Parts: sequence; structure tokens; C-alpha cells
Amino acid sequence: MSWTYNDEVMDRYQNPVKNGRMDDCDIKIDEASTTCGDKVVLYIKTNGNKIEDMRWEGEGCILSVVSTDLFCENSIGKDIRSIKEIDDLAFVENFPVKISPGRINCVLLPLRAFRRGAKEK
Amino acid sequence: MISVHGRKEDFPIFNKKINGKDIIYLDSTATTQKPRQVLDAITGYYEGYNANVHRSVYKLADEATEVYEQSRSNVANFIGAKDNEIIFTRNTTESLNLLSFTIGDSLRRGDRILITSMEHHSNILPWTRLEDRGVIVDYAGFDEEGHLDIGDLESKLKRETKIVSVTHQSNVLGTINPIDEIGKIVKENGSIFIIDAAQSIPHMPFRVRDEYDFVAFSGHKMLGPMGIGVLYGKYEQLDKMPPFNRGGEMIKDVDFHSVIFEDPPIKFEAGTPNVEGAVGLSAAIDYLKVIGMEEVRRHEKHLTSITLKGMEDLKSVTYYGPRNVEDRGGVIAFNVKDKTNVKRNLEKNNVKLDRLYHSHDIATFLDERNVYVRSGHHCAEPLMRSLGLSGTARASYYVYNGEDDVKIFLKSLGELDVQR
Ligand SMILES: Cc1ncc(COP(=O)(O)O)c(C=O)c1O
Repeated sequence: MSWTYNDEVMDRYQNPVKNGRMDDCDIKIDEASTTCGDKVVLYIKTNGNKIEDMRWEGEGCILSVVSTDLFCENSIGKDIRSIKEIDDLAFVENFPVKISPGRINCVLLPLRAFRRGAKEK
Repeated sequence: MISVHGRKEDFPIFNKKINGKDIIYLDSTATTQKPRQVLDAITGYYEGYNANVHRSVYKLADEATEVYEQSRSNVANFIGAKDNEIIFTRNTTESLNLLSFTIGDSLRRGDRILITSMEHHSNILPWTRLEDRGVIVDYAGFDEEGHLDIGDLESKLKRETKIVSVTHQSNVLGTINPIDEIGKIVKENGSIFIIDAAQSIPHMPFRVRDEYDFVAFSGHKMLGPMGIGVLYGKYEQLDKMPPFNRGGEMIKDVDFHSVIFEDPPIKFEAGTPNVEGAVGLSAAIDYLKVIGMEEVRRHEKHLTSITLKGMEDLKSVTYYGPRNVEDRGGVIAFNVKDKTNVKRNLEKNNVKLDRLYHSHDIATFLDERNVYVRSGHHCAEPLMRSLGLSGTARASYYVYNGEDDVKIFLKSLGELDVQR
């Protein structure tokens, strides 16, 4: 069986690459899950409808932190619309480890925040 | 007797393997597994007695009514109540809502309801709904170890306090509240005393006393099926109350614009009841009676005691609630310190916080070792806020758990303790 907290996940949890605030962002999205206590802020810098950079700040479980960090990194250079259109299932399948159904919301946190808060120009 | 291994042999679900391994079920606070005796009673009901109750005059219907009413007697007898003081509901939540929509609805602006900060949402929301009409809900607090602050409760008990509703055992802290002492104080004040016994009646001897006006509990938390719950109400109280739901079964006489209701408890059981549920709960009570509730309590105290000791040896593990097992049930909420070298910029003002693993991460980590614990806020968000937490993991025990479960649980926790 595969372990959720494998090296890839834990390495990113401990050394996230897109963590930290961004003062000159164009879009700022506050996302909180009251049931989990997760709180994430996405900072997005855009050029037209393209993502130039994305960073995050916040607190959450290992899965939401890792998913958010990966999301920020993978979104760079992409179109706002194409990100919003990513299918939930595809997004979860793309996560480096297999997720139990009860934890899918953790992984989807950044995508949902983005869909809600990233407006096209 | 319950051996140190627990009584798994009576519970068919424990024949199941997941990933080729036994399941270590530590979430009986949420719901319990069912023994063969209960499953047989339910199929036995459908194979031998099924008909609608209290309605028809033929023999099979008489038998169905008889097994339903026998189940009621068995529940009454189990807690020292009279048969007509037992109302079958869906669960604790519905029992408490029944009270909110009957006696709660008779309260007026300025009346007060006193509960505690360690209640489950189902003993909070039925009362806070009355705030819209100007009723005030007060909360008695608890101390650092999770003991209810009786002084605080007394000081919040006012002349206007019409209802006091308290959990007998916290589903998070495990704290067993001194309901007899509280009942006395409440009765001196002339208030109605309600007990949420969802976590106590399944796990310890319980007899209703004169101070208790109402007691709510759930069948599924005491080896019975889901969808059957109980509200005990003192008969003189039930007799004064208006009905909750209206419809079939609960009437003596209906005319176009008038109705005479049945006497309690039938007055509160509108519509076709959950007969299979009542029969299953009755079988669960028979099962528990054979073991003896003192024995159930003794066994769980033992498992709790070795768990707390084991946790105290794990440096990164913190548990909540009373340290003395006499004051608590077999529910252990805990957190694990995250000792990973996280290079994240999360700390407010760069102050390094003592970071905890998220409770869902603890639960998933244990899940991968087939150890099933609950995580999150356990339907007790005000309690979590009082503790300054957004969640905890929680392990809980019942008659089928044994020392072997505790050992595997602690060993798995130990692996988390040393991870990275
Ligand atoms: C203390 C307490 N009260 C009430 C409830 C609600 O029980 P039910 O969901 O069966 O209505 C629970 C269940 O978790 C509980 O632990």
C-alpha cells in the first residue's frame, strides 16, 4: 500500500517553495474551513488573465498545505479560466499520493479558493 | 466478564480484514459495533412479527405491538423508569429537540437556559434557537483538567433559569459530571433538569432519580441499531407537555377541527415507529445486562488507564480531560506535537509556536495502520474554542476493545512520535 505521508509529501510540507506573503499581489483570496480550522490566504500576481506568480500563507493539515503549495507552483504561466476549469477528480488524482475519500476536501482547498476568488478581467 | 481481549467474538464486523489486517475500531463514541444477538433480533423481528403496531386487530399486529412494548419495558427497567416514561425517538438529538419544541417553546423573553461549555452541538443548538425570542442561554465553564466548574454553574443559576441541560459524560474530555450534585442544586432553584446521557448510559450503571426530569440517549451508541433513541421524561412532566409531531398513532379521538391526544408516551410517538430499532435496542440492553454495567465500566476504566499511562510516556502526545480515570470515561481526546522541521512562515510576529499535527493527519496516519480514531471538533465547537484548539484526535473504547487494541494504538502513535 502507499503511504500518504511519503517523502515527497513530507518534504514539501517541511520545505514549501511558495509559502510567504506577497505585498504587490493583484488578487488576494482568504479561505477558511471552519470545520477543520484551516486558514489559507492565496496571493496572486497576474498579467492579463495569466498567472505570473502565486504564493500562500496560512495554517492547515499536511494535505492542504502540500496541495496549496503545489497548486501555487503549478499555476504559474496558466490562464485563470483553465485553472478554474480543472475537474475536482482530476485535481485529486494529480496529487502525489492516493487520498482517502474523507480527505479529499483537504486537497481541494486551494482549487476551491481559487475558483471562488480569482476573477477574470 | 470481559476478558482483557474484549468481546470481539460476538461482533461479526471484526471478522472483516482491511488490507489483510484486523481493524482496530476506536470510535465507539461516534457509534458502536453491533453484536450478533442484536443483528439476529432485528431479522427475527421481520421474520416473525412484522406488522404495524397499535393499529390493527389481527394476531400478527398484536404480536408486533407486544414486542414493541416489551422493548419499551426493557429500556425502562434498564434505567429504573416506568414504562410510560419512555419515549422512542430517532436519537439523542431528536430527544433534545423534542424538548426544545415543547417545553422550550413555552419560555418567554428574559427566561434563561443554563448549559455547559462542554456540550455536544445537539445539546446547544436546540436551546440557542430560542434566543430569537429573547431567551438567554448561559454556559457553565470547566477548569484546566476538564472538570465542570460547579461554582460557576451555581453562580449562573438564576431565578429566571427555567431549564438546565447538562451532559453526563463529555464526548471529548471524557469528564463524568456529578449529575446528582447538580440535580440537587437545580431542583432547589426550581428549574427543569435535563441530562444528555448519550455517552453515559452505554458505559456505566445508570438509574433515574427524582431530580432528573428528562434523560436523552441513543441506541446506536450502546450496541443497538441506528435510528432509535430514547427520551426518558418524568410522567408528570410528560403529561403537562404538548405533543411534538402530530399525526397517526398519537391520538385518542380526531374530529374535523379538534383532537384529543393519547396519553404519554404514545402522545409523543406520531406515525409508524421504528419497531425493528426498538427490538434491536432491547436486544442490546439484554446483551449489556448479561455482562453487567459495572463490568463494562471496570473494563473501560482499565483500558483508559493503560492508554493514559502510555500517552504520558510519549513526549509529543498531549491528552485532554481528567487525569483520574474515576472522573472520566473511555474517551480520550489527544493531539500530537509536530516536531518536523517546518520552514514555514506561519508564526505570528515570528514567534515560534508549539505546532500540533492537524487532527486529520493524525487520524490518516493511524488509518494507514488500521487504527480508526475520530478527528476534528467532535460536534463540540464551543468546547474546542474553550480549549483554544481547532480540533483533536479522539480514541474511545467499548466492550469489544481489549488491551491488544490499546497496544497497537500506542505503538502506532509512537511511530508518529518519532517520525522525522
Ligand atoms: C454527548 C453527546 N450528546 C449527543 C450526541 C448526539 O447523538 P446522536 O447523533 O445519536 O443524536 C452525541 C453523539 O455524538 C454525544 O456524544
